[in-house]
Amino acid sequence: MHARPLIRLRLTTAATEEIGATPHGILSIFPITGGSFEGERLRGTVLGGGVDWVTAAADGTFELDLRVTLETDDGALIHMTFTGVRDDANHYFRTLPRFETAAPKYAFLNRLLAVGIGELHADGPLHVIEEIL
Amino acid sequence: MNTRLLMTLRVTVATPQSVGAVPHGTRRTVPLMGGDFEGPRLRGTVLPDGSGDWLLLRADGVLELDFRATLRTDDGALISMRSFGLRHGPPDVIAAIARGEAVDPVTYYFRTTPRFETAHPSYAFLNHLVTVASGDRRAEGPIYTIHEVL
Repeated sequence: MHARPLIRLRLTTAATEEIGATPHGILSIFPITGGSFEGERLRGTVLGGGVDWVTAAADGTFELDLRVTLETDDGALIHMTFTGVRDDANHYFRTLPRFETAAPKYAFLNRLLAVGIGELHADGPLHVIEEIL
Repeated sequence: MNTRLLMTLRVTVATPQSVGAVPHGTRRTVPLMGGDFEGPRLRGTVLPDGSGDWLLLRADGVLELDFRATLRTDDGALISMRSFGLRHGPPDVIAAIARGEAVDPVTYYFRTTPRFETAHPSYAFLNHLVTVASGDRRAEGPIYTIHEVL
C-alpha cells in the first residue's frame, strides 16, 4: 500500500478519569486539553474538549476511541476521530483517523482514509498520520 | 508506513436493497452471497448468511462502505470482520462501475480499513491488527487486497 504524510499530531491530556472494569474491559478516559498538528497541507492547534476513551483488554492491549476538534491556522474547524490499538508489549500503536470538515479548502480530508503511527513521549503522545493513497 | 499482505478477499454480491434517501445520504444494502479469502497465514470462505455491505452515498459524491462479514478458515475458525471504507472517482468511472463494466481500479479511490475479531487462539493475532485494503469493484463483487499495517 502507498501512503503519504498528512500531519504530525501532538496531544496534551489532563488527568485520566478511571471508570474501572466494564463489560468490555477496564475503561480509562483521557481528556484532551490541547495540542498541535503540522503537515504540508494543513497545520494548527487542537482545541480543548477532545477525549480519548481507552479500554484495556484482558490480554494487556488497549483499544482507543478518540474524538477531537482541530483548528487550522486559517480558522477552519476539522472534526477528527480515530479508533486504534495500543499493544505496548509489541510496541504496536496504530490508529485509523477520519476527518470531517465543512471548509472547502480542506474538503479533501472528507475523502481520504488514513493510518496513524503512535509514539509515546513524556509530554504526551505523537501521532504520525499518513494518507492512504 | 510499512505494510505486508494479510490476504486477498473476494466476495460475490446479491441483489442490492435500495433503501433510498435517508437523512445522511442515499442508502443501499448489499447482502453477500459468499466468497473466499487467501493469504500467507489464513485462508477460507465467507459465510453468506449475516454478511453484507451497508452503503451510504453522501451528498458530496463519496460512497461510504460499512462492510461486515463472517469468515471461516479452512481449519474451522470463525472470524468476524468489520470494515469502514470510502469509494469515489470521476463520474464516468463511477457510472461504468454502476453498469457492471470492468474498470481499472487505479482510476478511482476505493480503500477500506478492516478490523477483525476472533476467539480462536490460532488467529488471535488478528484481534490487534490495524489493516488497510484497496478494493477492485468487479461486476460479481469486490476484490479486497488487505494489508497489515506493521
